[in-house]
Amino acid sequence: MSAQAATKQKTATFQLLAPGVFWMILFLVAPIMMIVYVSFWTQTTFAINSTLTLDSWRNFFASEAYVGALWTTIRLWLIVLTVTFVIGYPAALFVGLLVKSKTLSTVLLVLCVIPFWTSFLIRVLAWRPMLGKEGAINIILQKVGLIDSPIEVLLFSELSVVIGMTQIYVVFMVGPIAFMLGRIDRNIIEAARDLGAGFGRIFWKIILPLSLPGVVVGAIFVSVMVLGEFATSGALSGRKVNLLGNVIVTQVGSLKWAMASVVGVILTVLLGIVVAGFLRIVDLKKEL
Amino acid sequence: MTHRDASFRLEGITRRYGELTALEDIDFVVEQSGYVSLLGPSGSGKTCLLRIICGFEKPDAGRVWFQGRDITDLPPHERGIGFVFQNFALFPHLTVFENVAFGLRNGAVSVAEAEITRRTEEAIEMVGLAGLEDRSPEQVSGGQKQRVALARTLVMQPSLVLLDEPLGALDANLRERMQTELRAIRERLGVTFLHVTGSETEALAMGDIVAVLDAGKIIQTGTPDQIYDTPASSDVALFLNRFNMFDGTLSDGMFAGPFGTAAAPVARHNQRDVYAIRYDRTQIFDKGAALPGPALTARFLASEYLGSSIIFLFETADRKTIEVDHHLSFGEPRDLEVGGEYVLSWDPAQAIVFGKGVAA
Repeated sequence: MSAQAATKQKTATFQLLAPGVFWMILFLVAPIMMIVYVSFWTQTTFAINSTLTLDSWRNFFASEAYVGALWTTIRLWLIVLTVTFVIGYPAALFVGLLVKSKTLSTVLLVLCVIPFWTSFLIRVLAWRPMLGKEGAINIILQKVGLIDSPIEVLLFSELSVVIGMTQIYVVFMVGPIAFMLGRIDRNIIEAARDLGAGFGRIFWKIILPLSLPGVVVGAIFVSVMVLGEFATSGALSGRKVNLLGNVIVTQVGSLKWAMASVVGVILTVLLGIVVAGFLRIVDLKKEL
Repeated sequence: MTHRDASFRLEGITRRYGELTALEDIDFVVEQSGYVSLLGPSGSGKTCLLRIICGFEKPDAGRVWFQGRDITDLPPHERGIGFVFQNFALFPHLTVFENVAFGLRNGAVSVAEAEITRRTEEAIEMVGLAGLEDRSPEQVSGGQKQRVALARTLVMQPSLVLLDEPLGALDANLRERMQTELRAIRERLGVTFLHVTGSETEALAMGDIVAVLDAGKIIQTGTPDQIYDTPASSDVALFLNRFNMFDGTLSDGMFAGPFGTAAAPVARHNQRDVYAIRYDRTQIFDKGAALPGPALTARFLASEYLGSSIIFLFETADRKTIEVDHHLSFGEPRDLEVGGEYVLSWDPAQAIVFGKGVAA
């Protein structure tokens, strides 16, 4: 290639990239930089000014409530991630591998998505009449005679937040795993069977490793959404569970922009670490 | 290695998928270890039969016997039968070594680590893959994948190895090399290979015994030369792709066809009357020359040079293509003029005649 043609191609490459780069800078990089910047501003009770200070950061780490919210976020994220995996993987195994007919597995996947036809808030709030003290579950259990008095821990507790989040996000775990499982050549499983491997061995040595990219993608989906959550915990915990997302909502509500920015930066860094960690497990470039 | 008992017997194997009968009352016996080819067009049920022998599917009726045991209800891995898949079915996330070692590591019987290494290396060595142990399946060529699949099966020391169109995914050049190699490996191990293929050349070249499967039934079993010289029906002859075949009528030892009437003292039972003459028994004459037998006027179309022989293509007046195979060891072929009219003839004693009126 001549030098002139190379330059020409370079120019073309830049021209094609420009709109995307411009968009990302304007709506992603610049806002994030702005948030980082604002987190160092000086906050007074009624105003904020751009004098740089570490006060908000100090306040965050000095406050038991804020650091507690960070740990609650991490704990709930790990619990929801585990539960969505434990529930989602067998479901994906059924839809993606055990169901032989492609039509049926597509139908089943569509069924998984049906709850998304209603709005997010309605789905969350629908758990209240289910889990409440006089909710469906307690009434049924009492009628059946399994319990004498209603289980109060079901609603307005960490448990109800876990239940709500799991129900909403489990499908993001099922989808990618079912997709990867569906791509496994059935002959491979028969070959393993012919070589004498039992079901357990086939699962651990063949099926699980081959579906790992799906698990990682599903885990990234669930993590990104759970870590940024505030609505489910707001609606189902009765203010008992405070996540970083809830802190941001409260701080913004009381116009404490600097503290909201601090929490925003911490949440972004946390998300970055989690996603980068998951991407280290498998080489997704090779799989997709 | 000593010859192991590899006798197996199929008794009345029948398999239906709803309305469709994939296999109908298959009886088949292999007494000694050897190379068995199962030849059949696609859709003839050959893969289905393999899967039943191996245990991936159950027959609707009939029994499978192997080494004197009824294995019809045993799961695949308890049968001692290896299966080499058409698309190789290698484990994509494991290295060549781990692919081959898989059965030893994860089988029902636990094998000591040292023995796993020894047997795996032996198997890899045998199929000629030494040095590639640490590659992943996507880093080896098609022919090498085939060898990995074979080694993975052989390491389990099966007495019977089922190969489902093992050469189908390879290019022509490689196919011929693997043919020789498969035979050599089988001879060395003294086990039975049951090789399923849709290619008549492959089946005839490789099999000690060839079974021809058509529409779910075995229509002929025999050595390659038996099949070649005495096809049991016109379907077999057609499938062998070595015969010019003519429809006509057979009566009183005479066959009336597009070439006139020819004597047909010997005939075999068949669904319809067919006259078959091998490509290499068909000869080319100028018009008016003395002929050894029947005369069929045909126009010369083209020739195909195959190295050791030349195929001449002719077309008869009713647009039927006739092939003449001239082996070059019989001397240079004559020059033919494209579009020119010639007379094709043959020794009537070499024709194979099928008649529906002949007793079965």
